[in-house]
Amino acid sequence: MITLTHFLVVSACIFCIGLYTVLSKKNAIMILVGIELMINAAILNFVAFGKYDKISYGGQIFGLFAIVLAAAAVAVGLAIVLNVYRHYQTINPDEINELKDK
Amino acid sequence: MPILSLLIFLPLLATALILALPTRYKSSYKYIALIFTAIQFVLAGICYANFDSAQTGIQDLAGYQFVEQLPWIRLDLGAIGKLEIDYLIGIDGISMPLLLLSALVMLMAIGASWKIQKSPKGYFALLMVLNMAVMGIFCALDFFLFYLFYEVMLLPLYFLIGIWGGARREYAAIKFFLYTLFGSVFMLLIIVGLYFSVINPLTGAHTFNMIYMMNPENYLGESIFAWDGYQEILGISARLVGFIVLFFAFAIKVPIVPLHTWLPDAHVEAPTPVSIILAGILLKIGGYGIIRICYSIFPDMAALSNWWLGLIGVVSIIYGALNALSQKDLKRMIAYSSVSHMGFVLLGIASMTAEGISGAMFQMISHGFLSAALFFLVGVLYDRVHDRNIYSFRGLAQIMPKYTGYVAVAFFASLGLPGFSAFIGEAFVIIGSFNATSIGTGLPRWMAIAGSIGILLSAAYLLWTLQRMFFGQIRLKGGESWGTALTDLSVREQLILFPTLALALLLGIMPDLVFSNLNASVLNLVSIIQQFI
Amino acid sequence: MDQIAHISPILTALLTVSAPLLAFLYQVVRGKRDQSGIISLIAITISFVCGGLTWLSIWNKPTISIQLAWFTIGKSTFTVGLLLNNLSTLMLLLVPTVALPVHIYSRAYMSGDRGVHRYWMYLSLFCFAMLGLVIMDSLLLMYIFWELVGFASYLLIGFWFTRAAAAQANKKAFLVNRIGDLGFLIGLAIIFAQFKTLSLVDLFGEGGLIYQCVLINGQWVSPVNSMDQIWLTLAGLAFFLAAMAKSAQFPLHVWLPDAMEGPTSVSSLIHAATMVAAGVFLLATVFPLFNDSALLFIAIIGTITAASAAYFALGQYDIKRILAFSTISQLGFMMVGIGIGTWDAALFHLTTHAFFKCLLFLSAGAVIHEMVHLKEHSRLDFDPQDLRNMGGLKKYMPKTFILMSLASLALAGFPLTSGYLSKDSIVISSFEWALSKGGLYFIIPICLIMVSILTAFYIGRLLFKAFFGEFRLLGQLQEGLQNHPLHEAPKTMLIPMFFLGLCCLFPVFSPNPLSYHDSWLMDGLLLDEYTFAPSHLAHLVIPLLLLSGSIIGWIIGWKWYVHHKYPLDPDSGIQKTAFHQGYINEFYERLFVNGTLKLAQFCYWFDRHVVDALVALVRFIVLTVSQWSVWIDKYIVDGFVNTVASAAYWAGNQVRLVQNGKLQTALYSVFLLVLLGLIYLIFF
Repeated sequence: MITLTHFLVVSACIFCIGLYTVLSKKNAIMILVGIELMINAAILNFVAFGKYDKISYGGQIFGLFAIVLAAAAVAVGLAIVLNVYRHYQTINPDEINELKDK
Repeated sequence: MPILSLLIFLPLLATALILALPTRYKSSYKYIALIFTAIQFVLAGICYANFDSAQTGIQDLAGYQFVEQLPWIRLDLGAIGKLEIDYLIGIDGISMPLLLLSALVMLMAIGASWKIQKSPKGYFALLMVLNMAVMGIFCALDFFLFYLFYEVMLLPLYFLIGIWGGARREYAAIKFFLYTLFGSVFMLLIIVGLYFSVINPLTGAHTFNMIYMMNPENYLGESIFAWDGYQEILGISARLVGFIVLFFAFAIKVPIVPLHTWLPDAHVEAPTPVSIILAGILLKIGGYGIIRICYSIFPDMAALSNWWLGLIGVVSIIYGALNALSQKDLKRMIAYSSVSHMGFVLLGIASMTAEGISGAMFQMISHGFLSAALFFLVGVLYDRVHDRNIYSFRGLAQIMPKYTGYVAVAFFASLGLPGFSAFIGEAFVIIGSFNATSIGTGLPRWMAIAGSIGILLSAAYLLWTLQRMFFGQIRLKGGESWGTALTDLSVREQLILFPTLALALLLGIMPDLVFSNLNASVLNLVSIIQQFI
Repeated sequence: MDQIAHISPILTALLTVSAPLLAFLYQVVRGKRDQSGIISLIAITISFVCGGLTWLSIWNKPTISIQLAWFTIGKSTFTVGLLLNNLSTLMLLLVPTVALPVHIYSRAYMSGDRGVHRYWMYLSLFCFAMLGLVIMDSLLLMYIFWELVGFASYLLIGFWFTRAAAAQANKKAFLVNRIGDLGFLIGLAIIFAQFKTLSLVDLFGEGGLIYQCVLINGQWVSPVNSMDQIWLTLAGLAFFLAAMAKSAQFPLHVWLPDAMEGPTSVSSLIHAATMVAAGVFLLATVFPLFNDSALLFIAIIGTITAASAAYFALGQYDIKRILAFSTISQLGFMMVGIGIGTWDAALFHLTTHAFFKCLLFLSAGAVIHEMVHLKEHSRLDFDPQDLRNMGGLKKYMPKTFILMSLASLALAGFPLTSGYLSKDSIVISSFEWALSKGGLYFIIPICLIMVSILTAFYIGRLLFKAFFGEFRLLGQLQEGLQNHPLHEAPKTMLIPMFFLGLCCLFPVFSPNPLSYHDSWLMDGLLLDEYTFAPSHLAHLVIPLLLLSGSIIGWIIGWKWYVHHKYPLDPDSGIQKTAFHQGYINEFYERLFVNGTLKLAQFCYWFDRHVVDALVALVRFIVLTVSQWSVWIDKYIVDGFVNTVASAAYWAGNQVRLVQNGKLQTALYSVFLLVLLGLIYLIFF
């Protein structure tokens, strides 16, 4: 029997992998991938918790909604990455430190 | 006419005038100072002439004369009570002669400053401030006012020594300043203590009024200086502590051995006029303070500790004289002789007899202008050749006969030759302190006898100097050039010296000029102290 | 009428005293312009006349005194007043009588001196002081004049102040006199403490306070006060100390020989006739104060003085020093007179001594005057006062010789002279006194007899050496001077000397040349009772003894000094000791003068290195403490503040690392914060 806990554990694992990717990768694309993973972990949670709402399926609907939003966010993210690349000739986040006050 | 206020604050006017005049007119400063001091002298003379010698003074405000009383500071301090400081001035037999003496000595000092070249503006301005403070001290009857004048006096003196003095002037100035400040700081503590102990019976407020402080009935029962004496500080009766602290504050000024070492340094380094003021007036403030404050406010403790006071006096007499005997610097010798002569003042005060205290007062007055004359005479020599070493001169009598005459008269006057004022002072101090045993003040007779040895020693050092410097064949360290530089006294110098020495003679022949004014106050003081013997 | 009779002696007495004072003041004002001394001479003449009038109206009549309030201290009023009784008027007469001849003499003796105007000034001051001393009614005023006398003598001794020796001598004289003054002052204090008055009339007058004192249980009780009995003795000794210094008693006699540095006329007046007599006068005045122990002490000191001074006189070569020591010796006699209770005899001797000693000095002065002239003319270098340079002078100065011999006979106590009367009165009285006491007390009269014989011998030595034999400098003189090297003294000097010579003879004092009891002077001062019985044997034996002793002495002296058969070794210890005055001066120099100076130097060292060092130590301590507090302030108080500040700075710096603009760091820190938040939520 696959219980809610299994979902949550898998979701947590995915989230952690995503988090790790976001924090450690030196490639902006990979960071985007990490973000995607974390969003998906969250969506998995939505879907898993959706079992408590069997009338309106709020979990599933919110999951769908989030997938759409994530796709849009990835599109925007990729566009930013492309622009960053164009501007700095790199997508290594360590080398892009213009957020720091001078 | 508020004659005392005029006397005190006229010099301030002179100061303002001197400061206001531009430096172009700097030759006029000395004339301003002279005129104002002369007016002061006349005013003091008027005081003397109008003085009623029957009035007693001391602890009785009605017995004071020329009294002026104005409320000055009135503050409600809530829980602590009301602050009451009066502008209260007045004179009695103790202060009146000293007031006249101060005016005279100031006049001499101005005369001696005639050739000051170094920034006369500041010099005369400071001198006038000093003048004001001195007059204020002798008139003030409010302890706060007294203390104010007492501290104000230090400031001009510090600068006068420190700027216009000799080679080691800074050292001397600081030494003088610290010594005196040391005494007066502790005095402040006692003043505050007294303030909290004494109540003005009319208003019920705490007061700084010295006259009230002299009356045992005005003391609060539980207060620190209450007369029952059960209050203690460090295991000693609080009143005794108060007396001792005040005594040392004034004794530094007198000065007593061993608190005298500021005096030779200050005298040697100070310019002649300041030496004159130091010896002529400042030392008297010490004696005056002991009589006016220590003895009048703490008569019980005075009666208790007079043996020690007498001992200090005797030690000062002999120790000062011995020190004077071994000096090579003329000015330093005279400075030490001041220590010796002021020892008589202390001995006389300690005797607590009318003769002794009157003798002490007389000695103060006589020493006032005699030491001023002596310092002036040293200044005459120093002006001419810038040397004061006794061994540098010999046979001066042949080059400067008039000068020698004046020196001889001044020397003999201050070694107590009868006919001059110092004799009356010293003789009655000895007689009074000898008499002390008979009235049971606890001052042993040997102190009088030991004190008289000081008279012998003073003859020794003064005559030795006279013989060494003035008699014999001419031999000068500076040779020919000194011979021409050492001109005899000028008219100005004689004009200053002659009245002084004439006064010494006059007072020596007619001591009643002083004694008649002193008597009532001294008898009153003695009767106050007598209750506690 | 009655009033005038009472007032006039007081007026004349006042005039006697004030005339020299006015002369002094006048000459002070005039200064150098008045060289003649005529003013002083007039003044002393007035004094002489007025003094004589006063004496005439007072002598053997009731005492007159007048007192005016002078000043008041406390409750005691001090008076200024005159006391005219036999004693004081005798002195009032004596002083100008001796001073007048000296003034006349000085006109010749001092003429030509550069500072002669000062001489007359000082001389008048001295006469004023001395006259004031004798008639003052109050002990305080007496003390004032007492010191004034000392001051005037200081000025006169140091008259030739360019001489180092004179400047030394006057200092010494004043200082030794000061020691005595202290005695006087202490005596004064004792009297005042005991009686509350210093008036002589109140104290010593008829039924005065001093006679009302009693001794009870070791207490000296006066009507006013009482104190321990010892103070009675001490009061006596204190006054005697005063007299010891002024009257040059052993061991305070050292100033008198040195005082001979002054002009000879001064020596004759001050150091022979008047000032030194002040001590005797004082003791006579306060005589009732002395108790037995004080009197015995006085007698002993007097004897020692008389003997030692006679011994020292033998060894001197300076003509003035011999006379100085003879003065000291005679003053010793007077002190013995006081000590044995016969102060009338002492006063008698004082009076006669004043005349013959003054004459001796004036004669010596005449000799010295001539010797100085000779020195100037011959351009030889010799000491004009040294006996060894004289000899044979009677040929050149016969009148001086005769007068000096007369005075010497009086000094030696030869019959028919005044000295015989007065000296016998003391010696015989002392013998009678010893007779009444017995035993060891006989030492004193025996000593006095021996000293009297010695006196005759040393004054004989002086006469023989100076006036007999050959003039010793004759061989060294130039041709022109050899015939008449010296001349008789001028008339202005001889006349006063002649007058004094007259006063050395017995008729002036007593009609009977052999008995002092007939003297008018002793009659006038006669004491009510002597403490001892008269002895007729003494009156016979002692004068004979003295006379024969003196004559033997003179015969020996004649042989030794005139015939040059001197048998003794002049370098022997005894003679050297006499010449060096018993080394007393050296002893004082070492012990007292150097001792005091050493002490003074030690005191100064102490002042510099201990008292002032204490001040320096306080300064050092304060400085050290302040340095410490600076350190504490810098490193502890301030250090704490700095630590806090730097900690904040450090922390800020650490946090600042986060803000490096890197995306991932920002994320990382967000993550950490969330994590911390979670941990907080979970665990707290």
